[in-house]
Amino acid sequence: MENLLNLAPALLFLAALLYISYWVQQQSSEARSSNFVKDYFIGGRNLGGFVLAMTTVATYSSVSTFVGGPGVAWQIGYGWLYMAIVQMVVIFLVMGVFGKKISLIAKEIDAVTVIDIIRARYKSDALANMAAIFIVAFFCATMVAQFVGAAKLFEAVTGYSYMTGLTMFGIIVVIYTTIGGFKGVAITDAICAIAMMVGMGILFYCLLDKAGGYSAIMAHFRAHDPAMLEPLSRGKMPISLYISQWLLVGVCTLALPQSVVRSISYKDTKALRNAIIIGTIVIGVVTIIATWVGVLCKGVLTNPDLAAYGNSVDNIMPRTIISVMSPFWAGVVIIGPIAATISTVSSLLLTSSSSIIKDVYMRSLEKSGKSLSNDGVKRLSMIFTILLGFGIYLISIAPPSVIWKINMFAFGGLETAFFWVMIFGLFWHKANSTGAICAMFGGVAAYCITMALGFKVMSLHQITIGITTSLVFFFIGNAMGKMPDMDTLKLFFPDKYEDDEKAA
Amino acid sequence: MKRSEQFRQANREAKTTVLATVVVILFWIVSGFGLAGSDIIIFDTPIWVIGGCIVSWLFAVVVAWWLAEYVIKDVDTEDSSAAEGGGK
Repeated sequence: MENLLNLAPALLFLAALLYISYWVQQQSSEARSSNFVKDYFIGGRNLGGFVLAMTTVATYSSVSTFVGGPGVAWQIGYGWLYMAIVQMVVIFLVMGVFGKKISLIAKEIDAVTVIDIIRARYKSDALANMAAIFIVAFFCATMVAQFVGAAKLFEAVTGYSYMTGLTMFGIIVVIYTTIGGFKGVAITDAICAIAMMVGMGILFYCLLDKAGGYSAIMAHFRAHDPAMLEPLSRGKMPISLYISQWLLVGVCTLALPQSVVRSISYKDTKALRNAIIIGTIVIGVVTIIATWVGVLCKGVLTNPDLAAYGNSVDNIMPRTIISVMSPFWAGVVIIGPIAATISTVSSLLLTSSSSIIKDVYMRSLEKSGKSLSNDGVKRLSMIFTILLGFGIYLISIAPPSVIWKINMFAFGGLETAFFWVMIFGLFWHKANSTGAICAMFGGVAAYCITMALGFKVMSLHQITIGITTSLVFFFIGNAMGKMPDMDTLKLFFPDKYEDDEKAA
Repeated sequence: MKRSEQFRQANREAKTTVLATVVVILFWIVSGFGLAGSDIIIFDTPIWVIGGCIVSWLFAVVVAWWLAEYVIKDVDTEDSSAAEGGGK
């Protein structure tokens, strides 16, 4: 029974999220009875700055931010913190580059998903369907990896079984995502982001307390482990790794559909401006605390040989938590990584569901001249969301063994698929559908093949190959395709193809 | 504001954001790698860690604030409500 104490905080937290989603559903029942798709998948385009910032950061920070990343930081030292902080640019980059323009276009064509924008720009169902398939495939892989990571951490920290943890937060996140829709996801994400910071803050404090203070840990590094204090970590952190990470978790995240979709959802420019500031602050706090904890736990887990800790960097964080805190506080701190997991899963689940229901199924009905009633869409969307969620849960019970590799692989794959298609689509008027199809397919193919073969250029991550191939294919395809039609050009580039009658 | 002007403004904001990102990257390089050779230690921490991690992040926050305050202009409020009220 004593053990129940370390289960209680996480259970209470999850129950609160469930209640909030229920409340959101009650609040939006009127909006959903008139235009379900718009309210359910995009929150009625009504997010304020604080929630917009928090949901973007929470979706972006995953279980790797709290387990895998700090584990590597334990090995490498401050070099890993220096690398991880590159994420400070991602919030203002995506919002500053895409935020305004996507929102202007989305309002004009009543877009709900990123694929709506891509379809309107390139006028190609083949491209839209390919984008939907990539989104669902890469998202599902990421969701499984998130569930597996969090359930393993839960098992190691609380002593409850893998299945107990997985079932507990797996089922709850699927249910609250299904009933709450985008607005529910955004609000619970905001709460999750706060929980991550509080949880890591407590861990940081307990860690320093246990290790005899910050000075003691630093003295230990200077005496026994000076590589921890060098940016290149005596060869463990080469420049090529810095460049790879700048691309993979920095610049190339620009076009990730789960971030870009948030540019459709905010209320006004004031919300966007506030989100840019708040988001940059919060992502810095989350990244710095979580990774710094990873560096400093070398002061507690002092054996330099990873074999002493089960030969996996993923064991570093759970062992640190157990060794520096009481079971009750461990139960509180575990809320942080669980929050990071479920806030990522909730957003990916809803975006996957919108891709299939809205972008593929409803579109194919529309083409054959049929349409669904508002109630029909509602039933279908919710049933599909819950089924997909349970499918992910079932796969996570006995996950494929390569799941860890799949997680980062999926991240790079999505970046490769959408980077040039989004950038050229919105900022280059000559970009056409042939170019976009070649870029998306060619880039992802090159990325997957070089990943599978382990082939690298100048020891840089394969994302560089994917992005470069995609760019080259875009130009080749574009030269063969036709210029977009005048309506598209007027919609996306009114600055070049003036239409004066639209003046407000 | 005309739609064409709104889009011109959005393009300006996007370009400035990209430039701002380049500036943050340069700052990150100089304040981290640039200080890596120094033996100065502040609060028991090598100065390149303070510069590359904490100060770089604070610099990014200032850049974000500058973008929000001076670069990103309000173009939507009146225009969008007029469009929604008037229909197409």
